[in-house]
Amino acid sequence: MHQIEFLKVSKEYIPGIKVLDGVSFNVNSGEFVFIVGPSGAGKSTIVCLLIGEERPTDGEIKFNGESVSDIPHEEVPDLRRKIGVVFQDYKLLDSKTVYDNVAVALEVVGTNKEEIKNIIPNILSLVGLTNQKDYFPSQLSGGEKQRVAIARALAHEPDVLVADEATGMIDPDSSDGVVEILEKINSLGTTVIMATHDERIVDSLKKRVIRIEEGKITSDQEGGKYRV
Amino acid sequence: MPKFWENLRRHLQKEKLMSVSNFLLMGITFLLLGIFIDVVVISQTALRYLEDQAQITIFFKDDFGEDKILPLKANIGNDARVASVTYVSKEEALRIFKEINKDEPVLLESISASILPASLEVKAKNIGNLDKLTNEYKSQEGVEEVRFYKDVVSRFASTSRAVYIVGFILVVSFFLISYSVIISALRTSINARGKELEIMKLVGASDSYVRDPFMYEGVFFSMVSAAAASGVIILLGVGIDRWGIFSKGLAIGFIPGFFINPIIFNTILAFILLLSGFLLGYFGSKTAIKKYLKY
Repeated sequence: MHQIEFLKVSKEYIPGIKVLDGVSFNVNSGEFVFIVGPSGAGKSTIVCLLIGEERPTDGEIKFNGESVSDIPHEEVPDLRRKIGVVFQDYKLLDSKTVYDNVAVALEVVGTNKEEIKNIIPNILSLVGLTNQKDYFPSQLSGGEKQRVAIARALAHEPDVLVADEATGMIDPDSSDGVVEILEKINSLGTTVIMATHDERIVDSLKKRVIRIEEGKITSDQEGGKYRV
Repeated sequence: MPKFWENLRRHLQKEKLMSVSNFLLMGITFLLLGIFIDVVVISQTALRYLEDQAQITIFFKDDFGEDKILPLKANIGNDARVASVTYVSKEEALRIFKEINKDEPVLLESISASILPASLEVKAKNIGNLDKLTNEYKSQEGVEEVRFYKDVVSRFASTSRAVYIVGFILVVSFFLISYSVIISALRTSINARGKELEIMKLVGASDSYVRDPFMYEGVFFSMVSAAAASGVIILLGVGIDRWGIFSKGLAIGFIPGFFINPIIFNTILAFILLLSGFLLGYFGSKTAIKKYLKY
């Protein structure tokens, strides 16, 4: 059984205009997959569909064998605890410290303060932010902010980590640091899906590359490159 | 719950001016709501009291004696349209006259029972029958004059009806105003925390986790405002009671013949305002947060 299955998935935000057109692919547990393509190709739509933020117009999406295409509203939070997500703009709370930004993910599921105290140091150590735990986002670099976002996404120990243009707003050195962390997380067994148009990163990692253009998959290669 | 108080304290501190204006706006709205309900009830009560007075007085000619009036009284009393009929003899009329004019001895000296007419005071069950009854009594033998307070009663009845309709419209309007005040107050509060809510949902917060703090906040704001207004309404009840104009108490429009002490009525009204505060807070905040719960 595949962990994630997209079966002829189409998405129209405006009737008649397909952002995704019959997209099919599978992702197995523990894989590291790049989804590449130009801006507007449909990469972020795939992420939104996967975390239940949008529903497909047509086709079916399965996660761990169960359909999430028409997932009931009340089951979406549970799905999002299994699929951690990181965005280009970090989505951090400026008024909270690094520690508190990560703690939010645990507080919302009712984890008590003692448990949070035990969990967070391990996550911050994994992303290399142990010394910055009391910093506010304004005191961090772009790469560090993205690592806080990754730490928050990891708080629930998700099965899958999805990074949507996670290196889009940071410099190449910081991007390498972020990708390094994603690789480390992947090596610990978490599936990583990274939507990006950063050619340098894709080409250096030699992982599976799914290329999407104008809403259609144009190539899907193991050990692939950004350009076919 | 302690987290709720902490959030509330933070919100009040951050949005001092807005919180005060919201409390004031909602408090005044609830107060006006209560006052208009009181005004409607008082006007209905006044109408009841007025209806309760003698509505038709039949004066008899001097030669139409008690022996003829009393059988007529019995006849009128048997009429299904009549609520009560009271005989006022010449002597009783003199006693009443003396009572009314006790401070004018000169006037009293010139009056004797013989010049005052005997009369029957008739109360109709329905003031709509007053015209018909008056005409019937006018044609009776021995009747000198028939007076009834048609103009006073019917004018007050139409005023009271207008107060009732206007009051009802105002009460509904104030409910709608309170509802939109709560929604807009919470929307402002929610908008200010829009990013936080978005992040909470992204990391797997349930609907109730996102919604509940705002629900508590909405109910809290609304109930505190309603409680303040309720306090004033109870004091108003004490004032109406001390005023003493309605000896039997306030009439409840839809229960004929039922009167209630103004303090008790306004205490009940205060509880109704509190309940309204709760319901408006609950449903207002539910509506306000609804669109932010879309995943």
